Amino acid sequence: MFAFCQLTVIFLHPIPDIFSTLSTDILRNMNYQSRIAKTSIFSILLLLVISFQNLKAQDGKALFQANCASCHAVNKVLTGPALAGVEERVPDKKLLHDWIRNNAKVLASGNKYFNDLKAAYNNTPMSTFEALSDADIDAILKYVSTPVKEEAKTTPAGGEGEEKGSDNSLLFGILSLILAVITLILLQVNSNLKKLSDDKEGVPAFEPVPFYRNKTYITLFMLVLFVIGGYYIIQGAIGLGRNKNYQPEQPIFYSHKVHAGTNQINCLYCHGGAQLGKQANIPSLNICMNCHMAINEYSDKSEKLYREDGTEVNGTAEIQKLYSYTGWDPKQRKYANEPKPIEWVRIHNLPDHVYFNHSQHVVAGKQACQTCHGEIQKENEVYQFADLSMGWCINCHRETKVQFTNNKFYSIYEKFHDQMKDSIKNKDGEMIANPHKLDSITVETIGGTECQKCHY
Amino acid sequence: MKKLSVIFTLLAALVVVVSCSDVKRNPSRNYMPDMAYSRAVETYSDHSGLNNDGINYDARNVKGTVSRNEDVIYQTPADTTGLYASEAVMVNPLPALDSTGKVEAERLFLINCGICHGTKLDGNGPLYKGGEGPFPAKPAAFLGDAKYESMSEGTMFHAITYGKNLMGSYASQLTPKQRWMVIHYIKDKQAEAKGGSEAAASAPAAAPKADSTAKK
Repeated sequence: MFAFCQLTVIFLHPIPDIFSTLSTDILRNMNYQSRIAKTSIFSILLLLVISFQNLKAQDGKALFQANCASCHAVNKVLTGPALAGVEERVPDKKLLHDWIRNNAKVLASGNKYFNDLKAAYNNTPMSTFEALSDADIDAILKYVSTPVKEEAKTTPAGGEGEEKGSDNSLLFGILSLILAVITLILLQVNSNLKKLSDDKEGVPAFEPVPFYRNKTYITLFMLVLFVIGGYYIIQGAIGLGRNKNYQPEQPIFYSHKVHAGTNQINCLYCHGGAQLGKQANIPSLNICMNCHMAINEYSDKSEKLYREDGTEVNGTAEIQKLYSYTGWDPKQRKYANEPKPIEWVRIHNLPDHVYFNHSQHVVAGKQACQTCHGEIQKENEVYQFADLSMGWCINCHRETKVQFTNNKFYSIYEKFHDQMKDSIKNKDGEMIANPHKLDSITVETIGGTECQKCHY
Repeated sequence: MKKLSVIFTLLAALVVVVSCSDVKRNPSRNYMPDMAYSRAVETYSDHSGLNNDGINYDARNVKGTVSRNEDVIYQTPADTTGLYASEAVMVNPLPALDSTGKVEAERLFLINCGICHGTKLDGNGPLYKGGEGPFPAKPAAFLGDAKYESMSEGTMFHAITYGKNLMGSYASQLTPKQRWMVIHYIKDKQAEAKGGSEAAASAPAAAPKADSTAKK
C-alpha cells in the first residue's frame, strides 16, 4: 500500500509541468481549429509514455530496495561496492546477470575480476538471487545507472532568526522606572506648590536643600540600595556551586536534537545504564559506530546546525572527528588507527555527599528523562536544565505521585495502595466505601524526603 | 572634558553589557569544592594518572569477564566466513516468554532494534525511512522477507552479538539473556504474521514481484 502511494506521487508529479509547457508551445505554433484535438491526443500519448517510463524506473527502484539495498547503495560503498557504473566495470551483460543470480557459480568458474572483488570486500559472501528474471535485473541496472535527480531544495522562507520568548521583566522594569520618575516629578511639583502658597501666606520658607543633600532622599536611596544589593548577594551566595544553564562546548558537536529528536533514537539506546544502576552512562564509542559505520555524512538536505553563538556546524566534519577518536578508517572500512577516548565535558555533577541513582528514578519511579533534563530531544547543545539543588529535589518528591500500577518495586506499600481504593473489605468480608480514601500517595509519604535516603 | 569622560564610561559599560552572552560556557564557582568534586576515583573522572600513583588500573575488562547474573554464557568467537554454519544450529535456551517477558522483550526490541528494523519489524525504522533517512543500507525486514523468516535463532544471536555487515555489535547493550528474549520476540511476531497471512499470501518468496504487480 505504501509503495503504491509513493508510486502515485512520483507518477503524478512531473506530468502537470510538462503538460503545461508543452501545451503553451503548441498554442504558439498551431492554428485554432486543430489545436484542442491535437493537444489532447498529444498529451495523452505523452502521459502514457511518461507513466510507462516512471513505472519502469519505479520498478527498478522497488526491486533494488527489496533485494540489493541491505548491502549496496548506488553511490556509496556499504557492505558491498557502490553500484553506479557497474555496467562499465562489467561490460559483459551475460556475466553480470549470472553474477547477480548466482555469484557462487561465477566465483567457482575462476573469474579473476569477481574473485578479486570478493577479496577486497573482506570475503563477505553475496546472497544469491535465482528468482530474478532478466527483465528484473535490467530494471535494477537501469535504476542504478540513472543519476538521481536532486530535488530542488526547499528552504523554509524566513524564520531563520530564532524567536526568543518575550521576557516580561524588562517591560516591568521600564514601567516601574517611569512610575518612579513620575512620582519624583509629582513630589517636586508638590513642594513647589507648597512653597508658592507659603510665600503667598507669608510663612517664611526654609533655605531650599538640593535633592542630593535631602535626608529623605538619601535614606530612600540607601534603603533601595540595601534591598537590591542584599538580594543579589544572597542570590549569588545560594548560587555558589550551582550550575543551572551550564552549557559547555563539547569536543564533538553532538546534537541530541538530530539523534533523539529527528531520528527518534530512544534515550536508553545510548544511555542504557540509566535503567541498570546509578550512572546513566555516556555511551562508549562502539555504540556510536553501530550507526556511524554506515552514516558517514550529515546530509545537506537536513536542517542546518548552529552552535549557541550562531556559528554554523559542519555535521560531516563532526562525524569525521568521531572517526579520528575511534581509529576507524572509512576508506578501508576497518579500525586502522589507534583509538583514543573522547573527553566529554561533564555537565551534571552532584556533590560527594549526595547519593543519586538513575535506575531508582527511571525504573521504579517511572520518570521520563525530560523531567530532570528538560526537552533534551530539542537541544543541539546540552545544558543543565534543573539547578540540582536540594530544594528542587525535595519539591519534586513532595509533588510526585507514586505510580503503583504494574510496579513491582512498590508492592511492599500495599497498605498505601489499599488506601487509594474506593471501596475496601470490612471485617466480615463485605465491600464498604473506603473511609480513609487518599487520592494519591506522593514520594514523600513513602519516605522520599527522609535525610538518609540521599545523605548517608 | 568631564562630561566627555562620563559619556565615554557609559558607552563602554553599554558595550560590555551588550557583548555579554547569556550562554553559560563556564561552571559556577564553588565555596568549598572539596566535596563538590569528588576526590575519590569515580566513573567518568580522569584516570590517566592512576598508574603513576601506584594504582593498577585498566579501563578494559579482563578477557572472559562475565557479569553477575549472566546465566547464558556465550564463548563462540566471531565468525569471519560470513556463513554462520556452526552458529545456525544453536537453539534458544530460554523457555517461551510469559506475558511480562513479552512486554520486556518488546521494550528491548523497540529501544535497541526498532530504530532500524522498524517498530513493525518491516525493516523500515526511522533511521532508514524507505531510503529517506540517514542510514544508507536497507535494514533486514523480519516480516515479509523469506530470508529472515527462515533465519535460524542461532544465526540471529550471533549477528546481534558480533554484528553483521553494516549492523554493529549489540553485545554492550544487550545481555545474552536479553538477546535471546529479543529473538523470542521476533520469532513470535513472525509466527503470528504467518498464522494470519498464510491463507492470504500464497508465495512469500516472490514478495518483491508481488509488490510490483500490486502497484499496477
